[in-house]
Amino acid sequence: MKSLKILIMTIITIGSIAGGVSVAADDELVFVSWGGSYQSMIRKAIIRPFSRDTGIYVLEETDPNTAKVKTMVDSGRVTWDVITDGEMGVLRAAKAGLIERITPAMVNQDHVYPKMKNAYGVPSEVFSTTLAFSTEEFPDGSSQPTSWADFFDVNKFPGKRALRAAPDTVLEVALIADGVPLDQVIEVLKTPDGLDRAFKKIESIRPHVALWYNAGGQPVQALGSGEVVMAMGWNGRFQTGIERGLPIKIVWNGAIAELGFFMIVKNAPNKGAAVRFLNQMVSPKSQAEFYKHASYGPVTPEAWDMIPNNEWSRLPSSPDNLTKAVFLDAEWWVENDVELRERYQAVISK
Amino acid sequence: MGKSNIFSEKNRGPLLALAPLLIMLLVLFVWPIAGIFESSFGEDVFTLTSYQRAIGSEVYRQIFYNTLEIAAVVTIGAIIVSYPFAYVMATVSPSMVKLLTFVVLLPFWTSALVRTTAWVILLQRRGVVNVGLEKVGFIDEPISFLYNFSGVLIGMIHVLMPFMVLPLYGAFRSIDGRLLQAAKGLGAGPWRGFIRIILPLSAPGVAAGGLIVFMTSIGYYITPSLMGGPKETMISQQIAYHMQEQLDWGMASALAVILLITTLSIFAIFQKYFGFDKMFSGQDTGEPLRQGDEKSNIQRLVFNISATLAAIFLIAPILVILPMSISETPFIKFPPNAFTFEWFENLYYDPRWSRAFFTSLEIAVMAVVISLFLGTSAAIGLSRLKSRMKPIIEAFVMTPLIIPPIIIAVGLYSFYAPLEMLGSSLGLAIGHALLATPFVFIAVRASLRSFDQNIELAAIGLGANWFTMFRRIMLPSIWPGLMAGSIFAFITSFDDVILAIFLTDVRSRTLPRVIYEGVKYDTDPTIVAVAAILIFVSMVVLITNLILERRK
Repeated sequence: MKSLKILIMTIITIGSIAGGVSVAADDELVFVSWGGSYQSMIRKAIIRPFSRDTGIYVLEETDPNTAKVKTMVDSGRVTWDVITDGEMGVLRAAKAGLIERITPAMVNQDHVYPKMKNAYGVPSEVFSTTLAFSTEEFPDGSSQPTSWADFFDVNKFPGKRALRAAPDTVLEVALIADGVPLDQVIEVLKTPDGLDRAFKKIESIRPHVALWYNAGGQPVQALGSGEVVMAMGWNGRFQTGIERGLPIKIVWNGAIAELGFFMIVKNAPNKGAAVRFLNQMVSPKSQAEFYKHASYGPVTPEAWDMIPNNEWSRLPSSPDNLTKAVFLDAEWWVENDVELRERYQAVISK
Repeated sequence: MGKSNIFSEKNRGPLLALAPLLIMLLVLFVWPIAGIFESSFGEDVFTLTSYQRAIGSEVYRQIFYNTLEIAAVVTIGAIIVSYPFAYVMATVSPSMVKLLTFVVLLPFWTSALVRTTAWVILLQRRGVVNVGLEKVGFIDEPISFLYNFSGVLIGMIHVLMPFMVLPLYGAFRSIDGRLLQAAKGLGAGPWRGFIRIILPLSAPGVAAGGLIVFMTSIGYYITPSLMGGPKETMISQQIAYHMQEQLDWGMASALAVILLITTLSIFAIFQKYFGFDKMFSGQDTGEPLRQGDEKSNIQRLVFNISATLAAIFLIAPILVILPMSISETPFIKFPPNAFTFEWFENLYYDPRWSRAFFTSLEIAVMAVVISLFLGTSAAIGLSRLKSRMKPIIEAFVMTPLIIPPIIIAVGLYSFYAPLEMLGSSLGLAIGHALLATPFVFIAVRASLRSFDQNIELAAIGLGANWFTMFRRIMLPSIWPGLMAGSIFAFITSFDDVILAIFLTDVRSRTLPRVIYEGVKYDTDPTIVAVAAILIFVSMVVLITNLILERRK
């Protein structure tokens, strides 16, 4: 008798757990991003105004990692509508058939910087990989690094360096340091000779690299503690360090700019709401909200009219910073990433 | 001989006891993972391209080599650091044992990121250790502890020590102290007694702990990627990269299959020469060891100093976390420029953290209960099984330890999705139990060795039914194994982030997942406050416990 009771209880429990999974309604949208301060920025700048204006309830989830999206789409049980990722993530997801194509009829992107557009995602922000140095080591008034050439010149600026443990963005800056003009970097990188040149340059700095980092916080910590005197890293992370009083200065010259995107998952249950959400996100008004919460640059020139002039210098897509930047060619990287990673790993672990 | 047929009458009971675990492994582990492995031979047509790439490339060979080398050295290092510590633990008063257990388990109350940052603060070029050594005059130039092999060793041994200390402690506890007295009586000096008696009798504990540490190390990659350099790249990192970023599941599973085969071969060699069966001591506990007159003063001193150093090694990063938690810049500057309670305030105002904490606790408790049942039942069943299949079943039960968790996670995800079990606490608890059961199995199996089957037969002969016998006789004797197993199961669940990422949603997020989200795009200092509170709470629990015990 007792075991029967336990059996029934178990069935009821399992049933209630299963029943607890809610079915998506029309006035609902499931938005999935990376959590932390990034998602809270999106919540304040986009989600709240969107829900207020449209009455659509946005259910937030976290961690849209692509393996999960693939399993979801493959199993035919899609519960997510909008996900976010970098440009390489968009291209890979598109190639694997995990996201919807976005037509001009769906989302109006006429006002977006032309070279930021992508057929499968709507750009949300610009972030950059930049050079930064310790002002304790190279104080104002003395000679300070101003370019990637200085980063690779240990005679002029002695001390340890920090570089990323993955090749994308590192190969680009190696070519800039080797004297390739900004507007030719991507072109040169795509040639076998250009690649050899980049790897050779990296080999030359290898003995002076104290940290090959995997996590975005590491170069900031290493600069702040004096472990290294110069580092490459994301502008937003360096900015946080500066705001917290660390002796760090960012060099925008030769910054490698990248894009963040919003995408619609294949067979999303609330595609209509998702389309409205993306339209709102890319509108100049929403775009001009981001700078208040983080050092990301807008993807539309019209947003600048609404951003105070004194904030421009720390945002990667401001007209001034953009002229000194190179955009990462995500398409080329997606094609070549695995092979180059293997080669890079071999070079840096020698 | 009845040994040949596994389905003979005699084996019915043992097989029944093994059945729950075997069925669970087949349904939740083998079946879903087989689907992923299938893709290592190509999606549509059969091909070995992925294997050719994985084996043919110098880079992956190097990474495989790194992985095995790191796992081996970490295992040896863990044995060296843990041995005196566990020995002292086995010879001190019960309240001291509690204190030392607490010290060993401390690293688990902090996320990998906080732990690593604490080590960075201690070990960097201008860190506490280097500055200290320079002031004392031991060194002129700072030592590079970090972003190289030594960084990886320090970080991994620190967190894997419990897996070494607890089996060793069990082995020392089962050594009859009278043996040493007898040796002394027969004229053996203290070192000779140690080498001829303690060392061989504790060898099974070393083997059990070593096996667990080695297997667990192989799947690690977060600590090495944050504290090591490019030379310390490990294979799980590559598997995760191909799976999550490249969506190349063929390559990911080819690498995983190679890893699995390599590890199982090592396991088989180990089995052949050391024997899983012989690994656990079969001694009856007589008089426990004591730190008493049977050892010379020098010997005692050596052990006590080594154990103290090991304790300092375990505690040092934890001590850094407390000032970090009230620093304005916990991740980037130490000593702090300015102090603040902002991170604790965040914790108070944001219900996410406490909710996640209780979810984690709930899931860990469920995982402990499930894995205790499955692991214990399987260990008893296997010890009574008479069949040539025994070593194979044994190896099979251990496989969840070897498969990279990301592959288990994807397998479970695709299994749960149609059942609508994604996001349920029970689903994650079952996943954790899958990872934790091998630990319980090993620990219970070890303590069953010291259980004399004749007592079992005697009790049943005297009219006790099997369950009375189990409760009154077997349970007390395997109790230490159950405790060690529960601790392993608990920390496995409480520390897991990979399964949690796949199997939970916003409502059922666990603490490690919330922490992980806090550091994906930036480093949320609130996680240091979380670590400080967890350490503080566990300290309070320990101290209350000690005081209450003294009153008794």
